[in-house]
Amino acid sequence: MTNPRLIQNFSGAQALLIAPPGTATDVLAGTLLKLGLTVASVVPAGEAPWLDFESLDPERHIVIVDGDLPLPGIAASAVSDLPPVPVVGLVGAEAPSRLKGLLQLGATGLLRKPIHGASVYAALFLAVNEHNRRRVLEERLARHEERRRGRRHVVKAILRLMQEHGLDDDAAYEALRREAMRARQPLEAYCETLIRARPSPVAPTVAPRLARS
Amino acid sequence: MGLSHHSIGILFSTDGPYGLVGRAMLNGARLAVEEVNAQGDITLEPVICDPQGALAGYVAGAEQLLGAGIRHVVGCYTSSSRKEIIPIFEKRDGLLWYPSHYEGFETSANVIYTGAAPNQHIVPLVRYLLARGGRTAFCVGSNYIWAWENNRILRETLAIAGGQVTGERYLAVGETALGQVIEAILDAKPDFVFNTLIGTSAYRFFRDFRNACRARGIDQPRTLPVASCSLAEPELEAIGPEAVDGHLSSSVYFTSIDSPRNRAFTAAYAARFPDGPTASADTESSYIAVHLLARALARAGTEDAATVRRTACMDAFDAPQGPVRLDETTLHACLTPRIGLSTAAARFSIVAQADEPVAPDPYLVRSDPRVVPVSRRPRLRVVP
Repeated sequence: MTNPRLIQNFSGAQALLIAPPGTATDVLAGTLLKLGLTVASVVPAGEAPWLDFESLDPERHIVIVDGDLPLPGIAASAVSDLPPVPVVGLVGAEAPSRLKGLLQLGATGLLRKPIHGASVYAALFLAVNEHNRRRVLEERLARHEERRRGRRHVVKAILRLMQEHGLDDDAAYEALRREAMRARQPLEAYCETLIRARPSPVAPTVAPRLARS
Repeated sequence: MGLSHHSIGILFSTDGPYGLVGRAMLNGARLAVEEVNAQGDITLEPVICDPQGALAGYVAGAEQLLGAGIRHVVGCYTSSSRKEIIPIFEKRDGLLWYPSHYEGFETSANVIYTGAAPNQHIVPLVRYLLARGGRTAFCVGSNYIWAWENNRILRETLAIAGGQVTGERYLAVGETALGQVIEAILDAKPDFVFNTLIGTSAYRFFRDFRNACRARGIDQPRTLPVASCSLAEPELEAIGPEAVDGHLSSSVYFTSIDSPRNRAFTAAYAARFPDGPTASADTESSYIAVHLLARALARAGTEDAATVRRTACMDAFDAPQGPVRLDETTLHACLTPRIGLSTAAARFSIVAQADEPVAPDPYLVRSDPRVVPVSRRPRLRVVP
């Protein structure tokens, strides 16, 4: 399992600033430039904020969103609560409804308004690295979930091998594992292929009965 | 135009644990004030305040100076003291002219930084050592931000080059029981020792380490060289004659820079302050800060922080180290990195030098890797 890589230098990244026009973001934008980022403002005057998360590049983009905005139109990815790119929330009204909105957007860092230049690097560092950590954890969880679903095929394959080749469960498992490795497939996927190729279970043979007599 | 008169604050600790450095910085500032006043374009009246190395003293001093209507203060040596008083300058919209090398990762619209940023001291030092085959390092430092951050940069740069830090030890500021650390270094046999100890701990380390090597028949400067980026001439004198030579230091200024401008500076300094302390990089940095401030005040015709800041960034000053100007984005100075090798006379012979002033990069956006590199071996070890 790979651990998330720690990002400490944000040069070359682009901050997408979603804040109402007229918001005092000079200090924020100035500090982001010093930190090597480019800054793009996403909200055209007079329109509701809207951002297509799917078009963003997780290696390059960081979204900075003002929690005082009405936030419809911006939603985290449909498949998980974690947006595809790191999100930093700007906190004006420190009210539960506003904070909840930022949490639902998947903000992993916060900056209090009015923004002080000396807090921007820390917020970015936390937001980006916490986002990456959560992404790795989510991917790991998804992988485990998929393997868990595949375990029933493994159980079936073990039983089949035990019946067809007269192996005990450990030996059957070991044989399957070896074959999966040779086929360069996860064990679960290999077993699923095996079972699907010949779905009907083999009827119990008479051999055990003969052996008992 | 009539002669304009300006009171400026000077805030250095000439007493307390780093009083030696503070006195050298104060002298640099005083020399510059006297030069400005002799030139006659404007007159400066320095209001000197000594916080005696206590954080509370810095807060009281800054409040007192700014409260008396002073807009510009040259001062601070440690990062903790600077960070403590920045909010006061931001609240009252004053300008702090900070004249010391430091570990970076800071900018403020109310601070002008005339000392070296990390890309102007630690980065050139690590490059110099790597170019000469250094791959393994033992880090010994005083337990605070200066050592932690410099060691991080060294560790990551070595990891990229395929090298590694073989040991990392931190001691309390002022600690002088160094036997265990020295034993550990001798056991580890690194290509070089990276020293971020400060003050009395550092002076004692150089002496004890040289003695321990001598006792084992090791030629310390050749076999186990010590590299630092805070070692200056007054400190060489404090180490003493037996262990003073053969140490590497990275700095934007050494008193031995061979130029007419620097010879004039060192001669004027020696004539004005015959009892010392010897000038150092931070002395020169204080001297630059006062001159840049005076020139900006003269041109701006006002003490208003924003106007003086803007005016100062349009200037270029012929400093003892060479041409110096401020970078408008970061308010840090473009300076010329150099590597010195200490001599028996407690001075540095310059063994490497940048071709031209290097632009400041306080957040290392141009110098640090994007992703933190990881050494092949675990870095944590059990310390008995």
